[in-house]
Amino acid sequence: MNNWLRYILLFVVVVFLQVTVGNSIHLFGVAIPFFYIYFLLRLPLSLSTNWVMTLGFLLGLTIDTFCNTPGMHALSCVVLAALRKTVLNLYTPRGEDYIESIPSIRSFGMSLYVRYALTLSFCFCSALFLIESLSLLNVGRLLLRIFASTALTFLMILGMDSLTKSGREKRL
Amino acid sequence: MRNLINFLWKHSSWIVFAVYAVISCVLLFGRNPYQRSLYFSSANRASVVVYDLQSEVTSYIGLRKANRDLLLRNGELELEVLNLREQLNKYRTTAGSDTLPFDSVLHDYDFIVARVINNSLAQINNYITINKGRADGVEPEMGVVNQNGVVGIINAVSEHRAVAISVLNPKLRLSCKVKGSDYFGSLVWDAVNPRYAILEEMPRHVEFAPGDTIVTSGYSSVFPEGLMIGVVSDYKKQRDDNFYALRVALSPDFGNLGYVRVISNRMKEEQNRLEKEARYE
Repeated sequence: MNNWLRYILLFVVVVFLQVTVGNSIHLFGVAIPFFYIYFLLRLPLSLSTNWVMTLGFLLGLTIDTFCNTPGMHALSCVVLAALRKTVLNLYTPRGEDYIESIPSIRSFGMSLYVRYALTLSFCFCSALFLIESLSLLNVGRLLLRIFASTALTFLMILGMDSLTKSGREKRL
Repeated sequence: MRNLINFLWKHSSWIVFAVYAVISCVLLFGRNPYQRSLYFSSANRASVVVYDLQSEVTSYIGLRKANRDLLLRNGELELEVLNLREQLNKYRTTAGSDTLPFDSVLHDYDFIVARVINNSLAQINNYITINKGRADGVEPEMGVVNQNGVVGIINAVSEHRAVAISVLNPKLRLSCKVKGSDYFGSLVWDAVNPRYAILEEMPRHVEFAPGDTIVTSGYSSVFPEGLMIGVVSDYKKQRDDNFYALRVALSPDFGNLGYVRVISNRMKEEQNRLEKEARYE
């Protein structure tokens, strides 16, 4: 039960930070950090994919409401949620090792967590910018935006995870 | 039957995925940008609380520059007033005081001052949220300007807040012209740089040079004629060679919109009704 409260708090915090700070960052005119997906990366692996997708949809829709982009973030988050387990299985042939854990640098180890977070950030940013550019396609700029935003998102996720990690794993 | 249920259960995540994807796509594509629902726009109550909070903090940033811009603009206007008054007096003495009508382009327009509480540059489709709504007289499809020029057009309105579709949004096309000529083209953002937009369909025989001012044409009922949009920075031929595409350096600084004015047109309803009638006959 306590766990649920923590996740609700995390939901509110990432949405608030994303909306007030994240969406105003526009590094070099191309890179936007979408660190709110950290909430989805952080959900326990024991949670079924259906639930992760539902939460992803709600999270995306909340962000959409703030950004005036109905459906865009929601769809990208659902894609991310659907790919989460697949990506993890890709990197861990033995899979079962992590079945009960909460994804973090501490439980996964740096190398696996980097691959996990980087791949999912990339999937998310690709989905998001592809959907966005349906109205106006400019391939070079699209790729630039995807790679730059993936890098920035990934760095911020690593940062957020290190913040929650430092010796007080229990806090979140 | 049992097999079917088993099958569905086994593949439930595909079904759930499909359902969410379909809902998202309906939200994405199923709506005209001018008729979007308020629940999913930044004018709803929850978003407004957060954005109000944010703008309480950030509205102090950039005040020095805004103040300088306003002073400059004020100076310009003062000069213009003096100039016009002098001209008016001259004409009055030659033509007699009664023959001059009190008429101007702005006669039919009113302004509502509002503060920008949210604004984006980074997306392709950008929107601006302001802190005035229906209660203050803001209605959809009113024009929004700041001291430097045209900013956008109101799109969705709630009781105390409104969302404007920004000039930095390819869904918005503005009818505008080179100042001093009567040929018009349409201005649209190409989603590359928030400082520049493209003025398309400018006939080739129109004379202009980089540095010329681009203003609204006044052909739509949204903006009065002659509002500043930007300055020509360079130009190239369009595909079919009969038109030029002009790159326009936009004059408002979209990264720093503090206060804006919403323009309401008293004659708008009449003009729209008339244009509609004309189209159907």
